[in-house]
Amino acid sequence: MREMKPNAVPTAEEMRRASLERVAIDASCRRAVLTWYASAVFWLLVGSTFALLASFKMHIPDWLTESGWLTFGRVRPAHLNTVAFGWGSMAGIASAIWMMARLGRVELKYGGLLVVAAMIWNIGIAVGAGGILLGHSTSIEWLEMPRPAPIILAVSLLIVSACIFVNFTRRRERHVYVSQWYILGAMFWMPMLYITAQWLCVELPARGVVQSAVNWWFAHNVLGLWVTPMGLATAYYLIPKVIGRPVYSYYLSIIGFWSLALFYSWAGMHHLVGGPMPAWMISASIVGSMMMLVPVGAVAVNHHFTMQGHFHELKHSPTLRFVVFGAMSYTVVSVQGAFESLRQFSEVAHFTHYTIAHAHLGMYGFFTMVMFGSGYYMIPRMTGREWASNWLIRLHFWSCALGIIMYFVTLTYGGWLQGLMLINPDVKFIEIVVKLTPYLHGRSMAGCLMTFGHVVFGLSLVLNLSGVGKRFGGGR
Amino acid sequence: MVPAELMVRATLLFSVIAFGGAAALVLAWAVQNGQFDNFTRAAEGIFDADEPIGQPTDRTLSAAAGERDA
Amino acid sequence: MILFLGFVLTFGSSWAGLVYAPRLQLGGLDSVGEAGTAQAYPRVRTEQEERGKRVYEANGCLYCHSQQIRSTTFGNNADIARGWGRRRSVPRDYVNDQPILLGTMRTGPDLANVGQRWSADWQHKHLYNPRMMVPKSIMPSLRFLYEIRPMVDGKPSPEAIALTGAWAAEIPEGSEVIPTEDAKALVAYLLSLDQSADLPEARE
Repeated sequence: MREMKPNAVPTAEEMRRASLERVAIDASCRRAVLTWYASAVFWLLVGSTFALLASFKMHIPDWLTESGWLTFGRVRPAHLNTVAFGWGSMAGIASAIWMMARLGRVELKYGGLLVVAAMIWNIGIAVGAGGILLGHSTSIEWLEMPRPAPIILAVSLLIVSACIFVNFTRRRERHVYVSQWYILGAMFWMPMLYITAQWLCVELPARGVVQSAVNWWFAHNVLGLWVTPMGLATAYYLIPKVIGRPVYSYYLSIIGFWSLALFYSWAGMHHLVGGPMPAWMISASIVGSMMMLVPVGAVAVNHHFTMQGHFHELKHSPTLRFVVFGAMSYTVVSVQGAFESLRQFSEVAHFTHYTIAHAHLGMYGFFTMVMFGSGYYMIPRMTGREWASNWLIRLHFWSCALGIIMYFVTLTYGGWLQGLMLINPDVKFIEIVVKLTPYLHGRSMAGCLMTFGHVVFGLSLVLNLSGVGKRFGGGR
Repeated sequence: MVPAELMVRATLLFSVIAFGGAAALVLAWAVQNGQFDNFTRAAEGIFDADEPIGQPTDRTLSAAAGERDA
Repeated sequence: MILFLGFVLTFGSSWAGLVYAPRLQLGGLDSVGEAGTAQAYPRVRTEQEERGKRVYEANGCLYCHSQQIRSTTFGNNADIARGWGRRRSVPRDYVNDQPILLGTMRTGPDLANVGQRWSADWQHKHLYNPRMMVPKSIMPSLRFLYEIRPMVDGKPSPEAIALTGAWAAEIPEGSEVIPTEDAKALVAYLLSLDQSADLPEARE
């Protein structure tokens, strides 16, 4: 028998019922979650390939230039769209579906429809990425996918949102946990954001600089109101769940949610700092960015105190390793982001690789790592198989963790140098290009390390899905 | 003004009302519904009799050493 | 306490909404050109220039090149000091751009006024292989926009690109490099990039 919490000793019958309920809920999500997650990993591998191509092309500029479809300017947006909308969004949706079922304590309904939605989403990404490579990119950052890809994605997104909301209304647990708040927020914001931005940037474009404003309002909110909520929702569920301790301050977590909802949508304009925009637009955005320190602080303090005294669990749990790494990155990247929005800071950092490093710390160090963690937790509970090899898990963790650290350090430093030189008119432009080359090589090496980790993870996943591995959880 | 500009404004206004209004409504609902009344219970809601507080649920990397609770 | 917080945040979000709307509306007011003059600025692009802009978009030039000159008070006035432009960019410079290509990265130099800096001939050679013109450049070669074909009657066409050095040696004897329509359009677009017109709101 396992150790019991002294003040609430459940009977064997209660335990059995709780266990059966949980297993049944996990089983109900099986097809939907596996389809979304496996597709996500597929796009991660595709996206990593594009990333490496783009990265190597920056220091081997005459490589693969015979035809247009692999030119740098097409491979780069193909990378962004496959990892952000293919990997990130799909993994996030997989986690969201599962967490909503678990937190609502009710079996997932419309799982079949969610599988169909995943297929539609896959088609959308394939059409979009293919379109970009064939030279139909819209050249609007984060919205590059040409028609009809956005329409396909929007349809799928609406189906997913609808399924999640309907399942939410069927929940048996009346109380709404903080993770559910985040997920519901994300599921509400993203379709709105996506459709509005698509409408105002592509279909019925606002003219001139207003379009840039809408563009960056969208691009930044994809991070703030879609990716971040899903990542934080996962962290708020999995960290307490894995270590077996409630979140340190639930109150703080709620404050964090509402302040994020309020401030984040303001943050995007700093991408246009110094540009031909009314200055007060940018100022408002800087205020919004600085206010983001409130939710970030709330999250950071909370996760730290939840983990305190339980750091030894990192030894045992791959999920915890990835999620805690992600949570720590979240704190760093958000604090950095807040200060990056300041004008003095931007004068150097804007237009440089510094920003690229920052973006990767957010999308990768935080979100991707959390999603890996969530996969390590969910998948065995869906397939009924343990992970085939702990060695592969460790290899995956260390190559990705070291990869992103190397990536971040290299490009942050290189980018800062680049920025200092850019605002010094005495430095000839070509000297900057030359000076930057070693850092671009460093980035390619880091990229190889991360991609290697992804291949290892892909292998683990394929093994698990094909039934290799011990039965999960003994035979309850 | 160009009609397209009007449409742009209409879209923006609509989205602003939808965003702000939804946030206000949801918050009002949450307060009325007692979602913020008992934070201790809320935080403990993710545990159950079979996976109680104090029970780590992922010991994958130590499974080989036989530490895993079956 | 919680109720109070709820109110503050509700008020906050509606405030955000109310301020958010006018901020974008204000941007919307900039949609008039300099009307009343024959040489309105910015002028409408020709069909070929517009096609060139699409080539620019399709091949992702904006991921390395911005098209915006920042104010003299920003970043040590480096943009203007580098000779990338004579004045800062203002919203009016972009009213004809759909999509707008401000860019967020300067792996390569700013192109807001590139039309003033180089000739069509230089642009073609540079696009065919940037290292022919700028030896240490890391810009990808866009040679897929050019066609290598045998000369007609052994005579070079007037359109042929005069390659130099190792790049000339790569071309088989009796062949020449001809820009495709896309390449010509792209160069026409690049040559059209020019924000030198004096605008009152750009003075500082």
